[in-house]
Amino acid sequence: MPLTYIEAIHQAQRELLAECPEVFIYGQDVGQFGGAFKATRGLSEEFAGRVIDSPISEDAMAGMVIGAAVEGARPILEMQFADFSSVAFNQIVNQAATHYYRTGVQVPLTVRLPSGGTPGSGPFHSQNMESLYAHYPGLIVVTPATVADAYGMLKEAVMMDNPVIFCEHKFLYNWLRADELKKNALPIGQARIVRQGKHVTVVTYGALVHEAVKAAEMLAADGWEIEVVDLRTVKPVDIDTIMASVSRTGRLLALGESYPWGGVTAEIVSQVVTEGFHLLDAPPMRLNSKDTPVPYHPDLWAAHRPTPESIVVALKHLLRL
Amino acid sequence: MPQVAIIMPQLGESIAEATIVKFLVQPGDTVAVDQEIIEVETNKATMGVTTLCGGTITTFHVEEGVSYAVGTQLGVIQASEEEIQATGVTPIGSGGAEQEGDGTLIEKTLSHGDNPAIAQQSQMDIPDSIDIKPNVHGLPVPVGTKGANYISPRMRARMDELGLHAADISAIQGNGSGGRVTIEDLEAFLVGIEDWPKSKASPMRLAVADAMRRSWTRPLATVGMPVVLDKVLAHRREQNPKPGLTLYILRAFALALREDPTSAGYLIGENIVHPKAFDIGVAVQVEDGVVVPVIRNADVKTVPELSQEYADLVEKARDRKLGKETFEKGIATVTNFGTFGLVSGTPIPLPNETLILGLGAGVKKPVWSDEANAFIPVTTCELVITFDHRVVDGGGAGMLLQKIRDYLQKPETL
Amino acid sequence: MVQTDNAQSLEQIHHCYRAMVMSRTLENKLSSLYKAGKIVGGVYLGKGQEAISAALGTVLERGKDVYAPLIRDQAGRTAFGEELLDVTRTYLGKVTGPMRGRDGNIHRGRPTEGMPAMISHLGASLSYIAGMLFARRLKGSLNDSIGAATFGDGATSTGAFHEGLNLAAVEKLPMIILVVNNCFAYSTPNDRQFACDNLVSRAEGYGIQGHHVDGTDFFKSLETMTAAAEAARAGGGPQLVVADVLRLCGHGEHDDAKYVPKNLWEGSRDCMDVAEQQLLEANYLTEAEIAEIKEDARLKVQEAVAIAQREPTPDPYLDDWSALGS
Repeated sequence: MPLTYIEAIHQAQRELLAECPEVFIYGQDVGQFGGAFKATRGLSEEFAGRVIDSPISEDAMAGMVIGAAVEGARPILEMQFADFSSVAFNQIVNQAATHYYRTGVQVPLTVRLPSGGTPGSGPFHSQNMESLYAHYPGLIVVTPATVADAYGMLKEAVMMDNPVIFCEHKFLYNWLRADELKKNALPIGQARIVRQGKHVTVVTYGALVHEAVKAAEMLAADGWEIEVVDLRTVKPVDIDTIMASVSRTGRLLALGESYPWGGVTAEIVSQVVTEGFHLLDAPPMRLNSKDTPVPYHPDLWAAHRPTPESIVVALKHLLRL
Repeated sequence: MPQVAIIMPQLGESIAEATIVKFLVQPGDTVAVDQEIIEVETNKATMGVTTLCGGTITTFHVEEGVSYAVGTQLGVIQASEEEIQATGVTPIGSGGAEQEGDGTLIEKTLSHGDNPAIAQQSQMDIPDSIDIKPNVHGLPVPVGTKGANYISPRMRARMDELGLHAADISAIQGNGSGGRVTIEDLEAFLVGIEDWPKSKASPMRLAVADAMRRSWTRPLATVGMPVVLDKVLAHRREQNPKPGLTLYILRAFALALREDPTSAGYLIGENIVHPKAFDIGVAVQVEDGVVVPVIRNADVKTVPELSQEYADLVEKARDRKLGKETFEKGIATVTNFGTFGLVSGTPIPLPNETLILGLGAGVKKPVWSDEANAFIPVTTCELVITFDHRVVDGGGAGMLLQKIRDYLQKPETL
Repeated sequence: MVQTDNAQSLEQIHHCYRAMVMSRTLENKLSSLYKAGKIVGGVYLGKGQEAISAALGTVLERGKDVYAPLIRDQAGRTAFGEELLDVTRTYLGKVTGPMRGRDGNIHRGRPTEGMPAMISHLGASLSYIAGMLFARRLKGSLNDSIGAATFGDGATSTGAFHEGLNLAAVEKLPMIILVVNNCFAYSTPNDRQFACDNLVSRAEGYGIQGHHVDGTDFFKSLETMTAAAEAARAGGGPQLVVADVLRLCGHGEHDDAKYVPKNLWEGSRDCMDVAEQQLLEANYLTEAEIAEIKEDARLKVQEAVAIAQREPTPDPYLDDWSALGS
């Protein structure tokens, strides 16, 4: 039965609730309403008392699930939008992320962040937070790009004993559909080569995996073979797969939807340059969103983030160098 | 009895020092554990330094009214073994596990305070701002990654792996930006020459290649001038044994350089390094290459003297018996390519030299003589000089050639 | 407002007083160690707050209830059952302590034993405790256990405090939220911190029960805390207890608190003196018994400091430097 990305998240949560009595879901409007994106539709009826509406208090929501996790629960915290997790930033980075190192007690917590832009969402409902959370020691940050990963990685994340920041991409929610759920997916922490090539390695994650593949298809007409690496997990990053790919191609484009200053793409470039300088046949390149808030109008929005067209331009430039 | 250090405590975050306001006890006094014994003042507050154990104050090392760095040893308490045991304090100089367990912090702060350099540093005035001027002007970054000369890290690594130099890939037409050779171009080139016949280059060949390659990084230019050799040849015929023509040239070159040593100078950064002595090399063809033994102080040796020395050198060179020092510290070289029948050439100076003087084959020519009112036969050769254009200009090189020509017209002075 | 006329057992009263004495003795020693340069980092004391703090620790049951103390809760921690060695080892940065040198002084705890380790960000512990109770209720293991978290007057100004208190109220969790108003947040006086007459009036806004008590009064502190705990255990939801005291020390031992007006010092009373007097008057303890309690505390503190002093500090080469568990 065909399944969308958001349906995969729904299914994963439903199975987790059924399989693991320690799991509960906490978040704004997740109860009877079923969540802003319907990721919990029907679950509060099916699992009474375990899919709970929270007040609009991101700080307290995060603090609450941290305490619950320490007490043996496996909470899933749904932020209504990734953007709002900035209000819970203190609890996530100072309480959850430091907990194991300080006290030796792990926090088996999953924070779901509906991330990234869709046309018309504007500055406060479109952000990508993975770079920020990846900066902090003590958090695992994942960015599923496929229906199977949305399902498999969420199931794995919730059963992990470390706090996981689960960056699910809103653009993929209903746009991405799979005919069936592959259940033998790669584990968290491993990247996947989604398209083989020999001229350039594009390292990316989340929704931009699909844009990168489109760009690669566009360039294939000219005889260019572009390799696309889907990070899947932003932290810890699978540098071995990246290095292996760059050693094949000699060229790197690090592609991300978050803002350009620092962040995941900067980290990838930094690691490749420091560990694999001798592998590079051209200066490594980065392509991110623009250094402004995410704009509202669809035309501005489309130009703000990398698109297949802008990726092609970047790749053509990189191939010419 | 055990001695316990009294140290200046860290009285607040980012506090580096405190001033002794008053001693509340004196050396010789008996003190109890946790007793306040010294009143100190930081820029944040006034408070008391306490004892870690009971005992007798042996001494204070510090004075009232003076500021001391955190960690400074302020004095010493003498304590009983029982007191040490009861409080768990580590006495000065005690080793073993106990020291490890307790001493880490104290030891660190003690060494900090004991080190006058560090203590001083904490009191040093740090200026609010320092006037920093850039020492690099123009482009803030290297010119870029375009163009035929750019070698990417990948290319560099692959070339190192293969033992290739930039000159080795000059055959490759680059497909990269500005015509630079990319790694794909290199690999394609290597595949292309795979089935061509090859032989191993000798160490001598590689050494010459290396020297020429390094020399070729400079802007080299060559100028030439015909020189009449009849007087030199006549002089030579009168000698026994007959000196080689090269040696007359060598001596004339040395004398000409002595008149203008700067022209043999070597440019390093903003300085021209002048010759210390007029030591001049002579290129000697050997099997599969060229060696350049150096003749010391060629300006003060006569041609017959040079002749003897040269004969020894050539013999040793052909037997490969010349020591490494023979090849070092020359300032210029003379090469007689005329021995191969070549009338002209553009020799390349050694990479550590600015000049090389070349001598073409002698040619008999009819020259009109007003005195004889007829053409008369004259032997001339082409004298060329190749120079590093950063140091010498065409005019300067021409002047040198003229001086050599003039000396050659007075061979008896050589 | 509930009446605070509940009676406690003599055992509880003694337990509470012993914790206060132990706390004061221990904190005096920590202050002394700090001024002798032995402490890594700062020392923050709870002088003047022992009665209300110990009262909370006394009405909670270790192994059953959960308790998030704040920086001036040595008495409460001791009353709750924290080992003295946990304190001395953490202050001295020893690898043997619960924080293993990775965190220090008041940021210590044993989260799986009902006592989380506080972070410096004030107000954050309220929702944390709420979550612990929530998880128990979910698992069906809540029974009549309760949770408690302590805050100062300053912490009530944070968003986290408001969010957490509101959440706890919405979930009707069995909690005690103790606000010890000690007149100063570091150096900031109450009139720069909040504008209401009394912080306890906030209880009404959150729809929870409020209690107000003179935190220097030993018996009243214990009575109020007992009432609050009983109400929480009986399903009364979160209980906001506001206790008035004066901080009898600086914010930390690096601070001589010169900003505290003289008349405030002079008009204040030390809860230790009050407790002693009340216990003697009520014939709950004799002078000799009090002296014995104090001497016992002195010896135990001395021993805990001596043991910790002899123990090793963390070795950077042995730390696994991993922020993630396997």
